[in-house]
Amino acid sequence: MEYLLHLLILIGIYAMLSQSLNLSAGFGGMISLAHAGFYGVGAYTAALLSVNCQLPFLLTLPTAMLLSGLLALIVSAIALRTIDDYFIICTLGIQVVIFSLMNNWMSLTRGPLGIPGIPSIQLFGLAIESKPAFLLLTLFFATLIFLSLKKLTGSSFGRTLRALSEDEIFTQSLGKNVYLTKVIAFTASAMLAAVPGTLYAHYISYIDPTSFTVDESIFILSIVIIGGMRNLWGSVIAAAFLVLLPEALRFVGMPNSIAANMRQIIYGGILIFMMFRCGKR
Amino acid sequence: MQLLINILISFGVCNLVALSIVTIYYPTRFFHIAHAATLTLSAYITHLFSTQLNIPTPISIPLAITCATATGMLSEITLYKPLRKRNASPMILMIASLGLYTVLQNIISMLWGDDTKSIRTGQVKVGNEFLGAYITDIQITTIAVCLTLFIACILFMKYSRIGRNIRAVASNPELSNIVGIPSNKVILQAFGIGSALAAVAGILIAYDTDMRPTMGFNWLLYGVVAMIIGGVGSNWGLIGGALLLATAQHLAAYYIGSQWMDAVAYIILILFLIAKPLGFSGKRLKKIEI
Repeated sequence: MEYLLHLLILIGIYAMLSQSLNLSAGFGGMISLAHAGFYGVGAYTAALLSVNCQLPFLLTLPTAMLLSGLLALIVSAIALRTIDDYFIICTLGIQVVIFSLMNNWMSLTRGPLGIPGIPSIQLFGLAIESKPAFLLLTLFFATLIFLSLKKLTGSSFGRTLRALSEDEIFTQSLGKNVYLTKVIAFTASAMLAAVPGTLYAHYISYIDPTSFTVDESIFILSIVIIGGMRNLWGSVIAAAFLVLLPEALRFVGMPNSIAANMRQIIYGGILIFMMFRCGKR
Repeated sequence: MQLLINILISFGVCNLVALSIVTIYYPTRFFHIAHAATLTLSAYITHLFSTQLNIPTPISIPLAITCATATGMLSEITLYKPLRKRNASPMILMIASLGLYTVLQNIISMLWGDDTKSIRTGQVKVGNEFLGAYITDIQITTIAVCLTLFIACILFMKYSRIGRNIRAVASNPELSNIVGIPSNKVILQAFGIGSALAAVAGILIAYDTDMRPTMGFNWLLYGVVAMIIGGVGSNWGLIGGALLLATAQHLAAYYIGSQWMDAVAYIILILFLIAKPLGFSGKRLKKIEI
């Protein structure tokens, strides 16, 4: 039962991540491989603040979001000068830079040793330590993100975003500020990615850079692609599917040593398959 | 002096990798990410033949290059060609290639394990002393092979029939189809040449520093950065890009610490983007093609 709750919490975290990526990659057409980086920035900010400064969760969460958003604002202002596949290469670069900062800035992040002993969340005097309580909290945030994304993408901003992902020159001719819209969407998506980051740090209570690698970015991107671009419910279902898939592999009786690789191979295969379906017009 | 030699070695390999990427990117116009897996695969196949099966090195290296070339060409036949037929955009091709890279890299991990492997046989020799710096035999070979292949490739692209066909397809695929140059066949040839070059680079890297299943990805990214700085289709630009990248990386390794080499490569890329606001593709806005 405990294990089932753990899986549900993980599904919630990945659902939040993929939904936030869906804002920039799906609605805005800016496929990003830096999402695990922003997720990591959120997790590290929360971890460092709560371990070193004993700040409560209600303060670490906004700080993590702000920091992640600020970083995204700076890098997107540069990276969004390019489009399509060049943009993907740029975000890949951002991801590698963020990862090497986490891995090598020994004095701040303790590098590959990671940060242990992150306290659990205290909300209004209540300690959220048990798994059911944490699941409720995760569900609360997942619903919040889902609803706000639904609202945002239905607004005029969302329509502009969808228009520019199809044809930027045409959108510009309608008097919309294409560049600004893209920067805002990318920043918002990175800020939302900091929320699951914070939750993850408090939940696992130990983080190290290996949770935020390029592979993780590819994983989040495959959730979005499998669930369908611009499809928020799809992202939730795909997150559940991809988190449960390795468990299914274990159920079949595959040894642990090759299960991790097998998992990646399946993700890669699904990605290729989806591209074949995308290409069919 | 040691720093200069390190820069020279890194420059040579980086230039070779960038050249192999350009050879494929030039006619197809998309980033072939699974190229990284080709590079790794050649190193591991050399390991398989020379260390595990005890086949002499002069036979196992050509065998490895052949296998890697076959992988590159197979991926073109089975994956990219059908996708191109469906009018897939470069972005879709790139994501498919990302998927292919994940698959290949994990197959390598599964077969040989995730740990670092070495294909150096016998004792590690102290390098030859040269003007107060040390350089091993492998490193001398690396520099020589990289420079020879680079010059050979430039001449090949310029004067041979296949090279001229590749350039024709790169400038206009439809027009070259009309004048009787089959673009699909030419692209397949480009994949073969590019993969062979990457295979050579992979083997050289593996002999110099050891190998891991993920090593190809870093080198691919260095190559892409060099290519972007230098511009596609310009050989001198490529040399400049690779030289700038290698110099910056080794200066950073010397003054700050070698763990920052990856970050430096990307900071250069980002600085380059600030300096050249329109971006390397020259395109800034996305437009529907009718």
